[in-house]
Amino acid sequence: MAYNGGAVIVMTGKNCVAIATDLRFGIQHQTVSNNHPKVYRINDKCFIGISGLVTDAQTLYQKLVFRHNLYKLREERDMTPQVLSNLVGNMLYEKRFGPYFTEPVICGLDTQDKPFISGMDLIGASVYTEDFLLVGTMTPAMYGLCETLYKKDMNEDELFETVSQCMLSSIERDAMSGWGAEVTIITPAKTYKKKLLARQD
Amino acid sequence: MEAPEWVDNAVDLGTTIMAVEFDGGVVMGADSRTTTGAYIANRVTNKITPIHEKIYCCRSGSAADTQAISDYVRYYLEMHTQELDDQPVVKTAASLFQLLCYNNKNNLMAGIIVAGWDKDKGGSVYNISLGGSMIKQPFAMSGSGSTYLYGHCDAQFKPGMTKEECVKFVQNALALAMFRDGSSGGVIRLCIIDKENVERRTIPGNQLPRFWEG
Amino acid sequence: MENLNRGGFTFDLCKRNDLIEKTGLKMKGFLKTGTTIVGVVYKDGVVLGADTRATEGPIVADKNCEKIHYIADNIYCCGAGTAADTENTTNLISSKLKLHQLATGKQPRVITALTMLKQMLFKYQGHVSAALILGGVDVIGGVVTPSLFTIHPHGSTDQLPYVTMGSGSLAAMAIFEAFYKKDMTKLEAMTLVADAIKSGIFNDLGSGSNVDVTVISQEGVEIHRGYEKPNERKYRSNPYNFKKGTAPVLSTSTLEPLGSRIIIEDVTMEG
Repeated sequence: MAYNGGAVIVMTGKNCVAIATDLRFGIQHQTVSNNHPKVYRINDKCFIGISGLVTDAQTLYQKLVFRHNLYKLREERDMTPQVLSNLVGNMLYEKRFGPYFTEPVICGLDTQDKPFISGMDLIGASVYTEDFLLVGTMTPAMYGLCETLYKKDMNEDELFETVSQCMLSSIERDAMSGWGAEVTIITPAKTYKKKLLARQD
Repeated sequence: MEAPEWVDNAVDLGTTIMAVEFDGGVVMGADSRTTTGAYIANRVTNKITPIHEKIYCCRSGSAADTQAISDYVRYYLEMHTQELDDQPVVKTAASLFQLLCYNNKNNLMAGIIVAGWDKDKGGSVYNISLGGSMIKQPFAMSGSGSTYLYGHCDAQFKPGMTKEECVKFVQNALALAMFRDGSSGGVIRLCIIDKENVERRTIPGNQLPRFWEG
Repeated sequence: MENLNRGGFTFDLCKRNDLIEKTGLKMKGFLKTGTTIVGVVYKDGVVLGADTRATEGPIVADKNCEKIHYIADNIYCCGAGTAADTENTTNLISSKLKLHQLATGKQPRVITALTMLKQMLFKYQGHVSAALILGGVDVIGGVVTPSLFTIHPHGSTDQLPYVTMGSGSLAAMAIFEAFYKKDMTKLEAMTLVADAIKSGIFNDLGSGSNVDVTVISQEGVEIHRGYEKPNERKYRSNPYNFKKGTAPVLSTSTLEPLGSRIIIEDVTMEG
C-alpha cells in the first residue's frame, strides 16, 4: 500500500539483531515529516517495525502496548519475540476480511539471547527466516541488496554497516521512503540506536 | 501472477446422473468425472451417495453444496429413523432434500436424484431440480450430460422393464452422454437397490457400451 | 474496554477499506503458497509431500516455509492457497480435535478432522481460500486404516489413493498418473512423492526450493524437513566488506532498559 511510504529491514547477526527504518512520513507524494521512525520498542529485547498505512500502524501499536501490559500483569515477565509474533499474527487474522493495511516485522532476542526475526503479510501469515526480512514500498530493490550483502554470523559492527548499506541504497531509488534512516542494534548487553545521514529529497 | 483457477472455481460435478424404477427396486447410475474448470480433479468419483440403508442419491452441480446437503439429510434422516423406530421411506428423504434445496435456492447449485426401496412403494425415484421442485418419475436424469439423453431415453424407455433391462438402459444412456458431454466421463458407477440388497457395480472406461463414433 | 475473549472474524474495517480502495489505493496482495502439495497411500500408511516456496505476487517471500501442518499425532495436513488461511484453518481444527480427543479419550480419526475442515470451509463459502490434503492413519474396528483426502476451498472433499493440489498439481499429477503402483513400500512411496514435488518445483513458477516429506504409519510419524534440496544456494561469495565507520552516523543513543514492571496506581475516593 503506497499511501504513506516507508521501508523497514530486520537482519540477524551473531548474538545480535538489527532493525532499520527510514524516517519519511508522507501523504502520497507530499512529504509531511522527516522524523517518523516506523520501529516501535515493545520491551528491552523485542521490537516491531510496522510499514504500510500509518493510521493502522499506530492503531495496531496501541493495541499491542495494551496487550503487552496485560501480559506483564498476568505473567510477570516480558513477552518474547516469538510470543509477540503469534499475538500480532492472530490480531491480524481476526481482521481477515477487513484487514489493517500494515505489514509488520518483529525482531528481538529470545530467553536464551538467540536472535529471532519474523515478518507477516497484512492478514497475519507469518514468515520465519534466519537471515533477514523486509517490508515497505521498495521491496524488490531491498531484496536484491540484502541477498547480495548479507553474511552469516556478522558481529554487531558488521551487522550495523551491512544493514545501513541495505537501507541507504534502497531508499536512493524509492521516492516514497527516505528522508533519513535509523538503525537499532539489539545485543544481550545493550541496545542502541544510530541515526544515519541520508538524502533529503 | 494470475491466481490459480482452483482458487476461484468451485469444484463442479459437470455430470450425467440417472435413476430408473423397476418392479421391486431401482437402478441408479452416474459417470465419475469431477472438474475444476478444465481440470479433472477426480476421475473416479462416486456420485451415488448413501443416505440410508436403502436410500441413495445421485449428486449433480456444485460438489461442496451437494456434499453438504447430503450430509445434513443423512443426519436428519437418521434422527427421524430413531424417532420412527422403523425404516424411513424414500419420499421422506426426498422431501428433506427438497426442503434444503428450496429454502436455500439462492445459495445452492444442486440437482439431486433421490432413489431407493421402501416397503410402502417398493422402488421409487424422485428428481429434485435446481429451484427445489420435487417430482416423482419412473425414470429421472440430471446434470450437464442429461441434455443429450432426453430423446434417446424417451425412445428406449419401456414401462415394466426387468432389473437387467433397466441396468442395460442406464448403461447405454450414460455411455452415450459421457461420449458427447465433455464434463462427463470416466467410469460408470451403478447402484441397484431392491428389497433384499444393495448392489454396487463399476464399469471401467474400456468396457463401456459403444455406439456410432464417427 | 476491549473484550479479549471473543472469537471469530471481525468485519468493522470492511466499509472503511472499501472506501479506501475506491479512492484508487491498491491493497497489498496476500501471501500465497502457490504450491505443489501431494499425498499418496502406501502399504502401511500415508506419505505427504510439499514444496517450500511462499510468494507475494511475483516476489518469493519465503524460500523455506513449512506447508505440512500438524493436526494430531496421527494426522497431518498439507495446505495450499492463502498462507494465513491454511495456517489458521489447520491450527483451529488441530485444537478443536485436541479438545474432542480429551473429551472422548480416544485417538482422533481422520474422518473427524475431515468433517470439521469441510464444515468450516463450506460455512465460509470459499472465502477462506485453503486447499488442503489431509492424510493420516487410524484404527477403525481394530483395523489399521490409512486414509487420504483432498479438501477444496468451497468445502468439497474427495478420497483417493494419490492426490495433488496447488498451482503445481498438474505437474505433480502427471508423475503420479505415470508411476503410481498399488501397495508400494515406504521408500518407493517417498521417492514417488519427492519426484512429484520436484516436477512441481521445476515446472511451476509458484512452487520452488526444497522437498518436505512426512510419513504417517501405525509405527509413528517421520518428518523429513528438507528431504531433498535441489535448489540450494551454492554461493554466497560476498566481496563487500564495509569497514567500521562506512555508514554516515549522525548520532548514537543508548536505549536504557525499561524494566519489566508496569505501575499500577491506587485510586482513592475523594471526600
